[in-house]
Amino acid sequence: MDTSPITSWEGAEAYFTFADMPGFLYVILAAAVVVCFGTIFMAAKHETEAFKKIEGKE
Amino acid sequence: MLGTVDVEIFYWWCTAIMICIHAGFLAYEMGASRAKNVLASGVKNILAFAFIVPTFFFFGWWIYLAFTNGFIPNAAGDAGLPWATAMGPNLTDNASGVFWAAFVLFAATTASIFSGAVIERIRVSAFVVLAIILGSVAWILAASWGWHPDGWLVKEFGYHDVGCAGLIHVVAGFFALGVLINLGPRIGKYNADGTANELLPHNVPMVLIGLMLIIVGFFGFLGGCAILNPGAQWTNIYGQPMTLSAYAFNTLMCFSGGIIGAWATTRDPFWMMSGALAGIFVAAAGLDVWYPPLAFLLGILGGVIIKPGNDFLVRMGIDDSVGAVSVHGFAGVIGVLAVGVLAAGYPNVGDAPATSFVGQFVGLVVMIACGFIPGYFISLALKAAGALRVPDEVQEMGLDLCEVPSKAYPEAAGSKSATMVPAE
Repeated sequence: MDTSPITSWEGAEAYFTFADMPGFLYVILAAAVVVCFGTIFMAAKHETEAFKKIEGKE
Repeated sequence: MLGTVDVEIFYWWCTAIMICIHAGFLAYEMGASRAKNVLASGVKNILAFAFIVPTFFFFGWWIYLAFTNGFIPNAAGDAGLPWATAMGPNLTDNASGVFWAAFVLFAATTASIFSGAVIERIRVSAFVVLAIILGSVAWILAASWGWHPDGWLVKEFGYHDVGCAGLIHVVAGFFALGVLINLGPRIGKYNADGTANELLPHNVPMVLIGLMLIIVGFFGFLGGCAILNPGAQWTNIYGQPMTLSAYAFNTLMCFSGGIIGAWATTRDPFWMMSGALAGIFVAAAGLDVWYPPLAFLLGILGGVIIKPGNDFLVRMGIDDSVGAVSVHGFAGVIGVLAVGVLAAGYPNVGDAPATSFVGQFVGLVVMIACGFIPGYFISLALKAAGALRVPDEVQEMGLDLCEVPSKAYPEAAGSKSATMVPAE
């Protein structure tokens, strides 16, 4: 997959992957945000279930 | 180009040294926990660092650059948006990444300060949410107002806080206080008649080493608070000329004052090393200008006030497991005001007014609000949702057994896992 925004180092500026494809940047950023906050949500759910087991409510 | 690379190298190593702060907080919190909670405390502390990094990328850096005027973002923040060309490898920008990294470490430090106060009874998920709010929103908003050279507290009031006495320590200390009010004390901290018990740390030597590591990290932190101008004099974050020698004189003097002050009044090594921190915080706002013996005396004051400050909180029913509110919050309050009382009249650059008591007092009120308001109300919402506190039965059993799939001390006498088990 060709993700390079540059074809030469001459005059290169921002050269990170997908730098010239804003649509891909937004998708990757959105995925990172979802994973980051999703793990917190999953942790909260797991904690609630674990605590209920210990308290004998399940 | 050489000067640009010099800047990059300087902040790179400041950031690396600042990671010692987190190694220190990790040891500090785990040592301060009882053995049954030691790994859960470690996990919580590690996660504070881990979640601050991406969230500071997503919105923290943008907040710092965009909100200098108050609550309305301005276009200067565009360079900090997570899709900006400055926010990634860029051959025409050697600065953004290392400055962002240094600020990430400042933010993670803020979250770690809060982390210690709430050990042994806060839910990990609630803690992570609160740590993100503190590290990637609350403190950095305060920094945009009172640390950014275009911040309204700087421009209109001449607020001066080079070492973050208010921006980090007051914000984090009062954020922790707001959360502690809703979180409540650990099981066993208070008796039915309201008297308090000591819930002793399981490893005081680990606490002391952790605190000393934090001091090591502070030298990276304070270096990161200075601006390296290749070929010209250093400036502080506000653009006022300074030297790193000023920081060297005053940081060491207030550090030693804090230890001696706490030693003279408590004889307790836990408070002595906490006094080292508090001594630095009391002098932090004016580290660039103090006469060193005055920094020493300020350090003494920091070392003296922290235990009475924590004792007061305990009498008020606030169970702060490591004394963070007193060590960071109360010492930070004195630190901000100390500049107004003892270092008024220092000229600013540009149109900003000189340092003054009024400017420092206004800044202090803002810092307390930036910490306490989000800490109190967000933790109140989590409490109302039943998502803040670990149930009493789990606290009594110990968080490690419930939350962590490994043992801190598997060979300890009496441990159920002391015997060898087959490898899977």
